[in-house]
Amino acid sequence: MHKLYVHPLAVRIWHWINALGFIVLILSGLQIRYSDFLAILPFGLAVQLHNGVGFALIGNYFIWLLFYLFTDKIKVYHPDLNPARYYRDSLRQAVFYGYGIFKGQPNPHHVSVYRKFNALQSITYQIIMILLVPLQFYTGLLLWDVNGFAGSIELFGGVRMVSTVHVLLFIFFSAFIFIHPYLASLGHTPSAHFKAMLTGYEEVEEEPAKDAPH
Amino acid sequence: MNFMRQLLLAAAAFAALAAVSAAAALSEDDKGCLACHSQEGLKKNLGQGETLSLHVDGGEYATSVHGELGCTACHADINPKKHPGPGRKIASAREYAVAKVEVCTRCHEDKAKLFEGSVHATTLRTGNLWAPVCTDCHGSHAVRAKAAQEPMNSISCRKCHDEIFDAYAGSMHGLARSKAGPVKAPICVDCHRAHDVSPASTGTRLRDACLGCHAGALAAHEKWLPNTKTHLEVVACPACHAPASQKRVDLRLYDPATKQRMSDESGRSLDAKALWDLLRGVNREGAPAKATLIGRLEVRTGAESHLLSVKTKAIKDCVTCHRQGADAFQNVTISIIGPDGRPVRYAAQKDVLSNPASVESVSDFYVIGGTRIKLLDVLLALALAAGILAPIGHLLLRKLLRRKSTDRPQGGNPAP
Repeated sequence: MHKLYVHPLAVRIWHWINALGFIVLILSGLQIRYSDFLAILPFGLAVQLHNGVGFALIGNYFIWLLFYLFTDKIKVYHPDLNPARYYRDSLRQAVFYGYGIFKGQPNPHHVSVYRKFNALQSITYQIIMILLVPLQFYTGLLLWDVNGFAGSIELFGGVRMVSTVHVLLFIFFSAFIFIHPYLASLGHTPSAHFKAMLTGYEEVEEEPAKDAPH
Repeated sequence: MNFMRQLLLAAAAFAALAAVSAAAALSEDDKGCLACHSQEGLKKNLGQGETLSLHVDGGEYATSVHGELGCTACHADINPKKHPGPGRKIASAREYAVAKVEVCTRCHEDKAKLFEGSVHATTLRTGNLWAPVCTDCHGSHAVRAKAAQEPMNSISCRKCHDEIFDAYAGSMHGLARSKAGPVKAPICVDCHRAHDVSPASTGTRLRDACLGCHAGALAAHEKWLPNTKTHLEVVACPACHAPASQKRVDLRLYDPATKQRMSDESGRSLDAKALWDLLRGVNREGAPAKATLIGRLEVRTGAESHLLSVKTKAIKDCVTCHRQGADAFQNVTISIIGPDGRPVRYAAQKDVLSNPASVESVSDFYVIGGTRIKLLDVLLALALAAGILAPIGHLLLRKLLRRKSTDRPQGGNPAP
């Protein structure tokens, strides 16, 4: 077993603030939308909490964005710009999660400093971080001040459209919040990836792949 | 007590004396008129059992704001030399009163102009002769200025709007008004105006009237109410400040091009068929909207909107509206401005606020929790079920199928 430093401090700080924030946003969002079923907090306080945490996570998002924009670690999303290989690896990874994992086959993806994601993770996280999370922040921002952002809301198709997109993404993230920790438990031990996300070091069985950029 | 009684008697005697002396101050011509017209019960027979009273109380007239003008100032059409002649044909006493407005207009041009734009004038123009004209509020001979709206119970609006007035009288404004003191709580004309009266649920005049006196209201609401400006724009003040009132959502048809409410007068209004088409469209997914619908939460009746309470009793619990099944969303109407300037409302199904088609048709009205789309609730339930059951199912399959294997795959799910 070798230890590889694959989770830089900035990413870890961003990740855990984001994780905690998303849980609070999902719970307070549930209360705001379903106040007839769920009343943990007074409605007004739930709205204030939701807004406050929302702004905190918008700020936190820039830790992630600026870190990847201004370091070479951005390569972890595209270690080699080879679409054919990307597609092939995605398929191979999907087959592993849907079939190989049940047969005890080894994970086709091998972690290295610049290949910390398998192809499926890479594409999923890029969609989430570049499209879905910003869209959720943007729609949340518009709903925070409907009057002040009236023009943007009109361009978006009306407040109900903004809200519907916000809720659809909330539904997606609500499911994601369960699936993400499960997938994170598929390391060489169930807690391996959780520890790595705290310490920054992943334990790998072999030397880093030779084709990894340095 | 005796002293007080004597004082009151003296005051009454003085007033009577003043009236008599005022009447005595009238011109000789006026006295000539009053020689006949001060007779109690003098009237003109209009036929079909209708009569027009010709009696004038000389004392009242003399002390009125028009006392100095003289009878002929308003009755210039009377030729004293030929009067009383056979008289002209008068169809009805009401038609006569309405026609006489023209006399007031000669001097009070500014007020007449304001009145012309009022809902009362519009009602008159549409043929309802019982809409109020100058003399209905100011009197015909005992002409009173605006101070005549005292005491409160003598206010002329009450003649037609008695139910609303009773609600007002019991409200915090009415109760405060009935108390003596230097500060006067608002009465009808303070909010609705005296001459250019507009229909209550059009424009922003009433909200502006509230904020005109309660200047700190915006700041006070901002302390606790998220999206304050939107709330104040979309929710009528009495919806919360008349807590006992029943609410409704009125979806107002707006012309997106002019940003004005659609009206029959604009010539671009929806006729019954077009409105029916629109209503059908609202309930049909994918139908193109013919106009923008701006939703507003308001009180169902005019009387209820006057049941204003002290602010400590105002609705402050957000969940009153921000929950599914809230009373406010059980009654939905769609309105346009009718020919008389008043909104014409058509009932709509409450489902129009929570149907998936509402994303397009009612795009500008959304109340978190209150008008939520049920399809999204189903999607959330499915997503949560999938989010919980998929990992459990995957885990069970792994355990079952890999029972004999001791190897674990490496490389799971690091974070982005």
